[in-house]
Amino acid sequence: MTIGAMRDEWYPVGLRSKVDANGQQTLLMGEPIRLHESEGGEIVVETADGRRLPVVIGHGHVWTSLGQPDKPLFAIPEADQPGRRLVEVGVVRVRCSPLRAVENFLDIAHFPFVHTDILGAEPHTEVERYEVEIREHEDEVWATKVKFYQPQAAKSAAGGITTDYMYRVPAPTCSVLYKTCPARPGEWDVITLFVQPLTEELCDVWPWMALYDDVTPMTDLIHFQQMIFLQDRSILENQIPRRLPLDPGMEIPTRADLTSVAYRRWLKRHNYTYGAQLVAQ
Amino acid sequence: MPSTDAAPLTPLALSEDLPPATVMPIWTPEGPMALWRSVGGTLSLAADRCPHRGMRLSHGFVRGEALSCIYHGWSYDQGGRCLRIPAHPDLEPPASIRVATGSVLEAGGVIWRARADDPSLPPDFPGFVPLRSLSFAVSRDVISRTLGGESAGPGILKGTLAGSAVILLCAEQAEGTSLIHLLAPADATLDQRIAVSRAAETLRRAAETGTTEAAA
Ligand code: FES
Ligand SMILES: [Fe+2]
Repeated sequence: MTIGAMRDEWYPVGLRSKVDANGQQTLLMGEPIRLHESEGGEIVVETADGRRLPVVIGHGHVWTSLGQPDKPLFAIPEADQPGRRLVEVGVVRVRCSPLRAVENFLDIAHFPFVHTDILGAEPHTEVERYEVEIREHEDEVWATKVKFYQPQAAKSAAGGITTDYMYRVPAPTCSVLYKTCPARPGEWDVITLFVQPLTEELCDVWPWMALYDDVTPMTDLIHFQQMIFLQDRSILENQIPRRLPLDPGMEIPTRADLTSVAYRRWLKRHNYTYGAQLVAQ
Repeated sequence: MPSTDAAPLTPLALSEDLPPATVMPIWTPEGPMALWRSVGGTLSLAADRCPHRGMRLSHGFVRGEALSCIYHGWSYDQGGRCLRIPAHPDLEPPASIRVATGSVLEAGGVIWRARADDPSLPPDFPGFVPLRSLSFAVSRDVISRTLGGESAGPGILKGTLAGSAVILLCAEQAEGTSLIHLLAPADATLDQRIAVSRAAETLRRAAETGTTEAAA
């Protein structure tokens, strides 16, 4: 298996705040790598045979690549706005394809069944029509005007509300979610999912958030997001096949799955197939 | 590997372990299946993969006469046809959305995989009742040797555990492992049943560690 076009992309490999001079080991697309902080405070990432890999620091994480990225790391301008709290959720290891992990993050129809009484609840299961496009200039997948009924939008909210969402896929294993911000109507909370592909069927997921919320203790914010993601993990580790089928026929999308359809099409178009299942296999 | 001398009927589970409104995963040589019982008591066997996004249906839930997938709640009837897609409550799901199904039979407290083309009835074990199921990390042959009993038909062993006559229904599982459904005498006392159950665990340890003498 060759890694293909995904080799030249940036991947998260650790929280910047957690890398020190002692360093840490991890895996990127099957290759063991080591991260450490040099005396000058610079982050160094190397393969086992001493090859130095490109490094960029952004969105709380250390990013690297086995190849040669020809683009800078994608920006999240909203996260830089003053007054936001940046939440480093940490890592969750999932026995699934990195692409399946992203696709699940883009999905709202599962909220009533997987995140019951938190992000969704029966009988409010309907997914209304929303808009999906591949933005050619940015080369990103976007879903906008997504609305979903959420029983517990915030700890303070007594009843349910309809929450607005926008989803963005700026890189094959990364997604950024913009969500109605209860504390500041008119602004969006930023919730991201950065996925580190360990192998084609194993990944480390690094959720990260930039929120307008001065009230909730940091540990509660972290625990809430970890709990949500552990619920997703129980799904992700039980999908067959483990890899994401990119060719139509094996799975049946409906109108609610338009983001997933666009994501798969965009992956295929770019030959982003690390973690994908193709008909030929 | 499906063995060629496999019984036309394969034991899948004990009835008692599948009450109404529950679903369980079943391994078969053709692939993973979901065995479920409706609220009304009807048994069904479906392929363990939701055609929407591949989630295992054995992780799903039973409501009324339908099995629902835990991921997005798509529900299926006993014939495998999709009844409802909750994301689109007003949509009648196309008839083409379905999961493959298999036939099952239930007799004497045991659920069997049946074959549509084979009219045979499940064997009947007068004087015996189901006790419990156990997974063994070894093949049926190893269990048979360890038990030191006799074969009473394909996949059926007779022997003695803790001084009681027992019947073991053996179903082959993935990677050379086995699922055993243990039957004990119908008139065994509670203490005898507990003793048989413990002896079955001893038998398992012996079979898995390669101890050859009978566990009885
Ligand atoms: S995977 Fe089963 S309903 Fe979506
Ligand atoms: Fe989720």
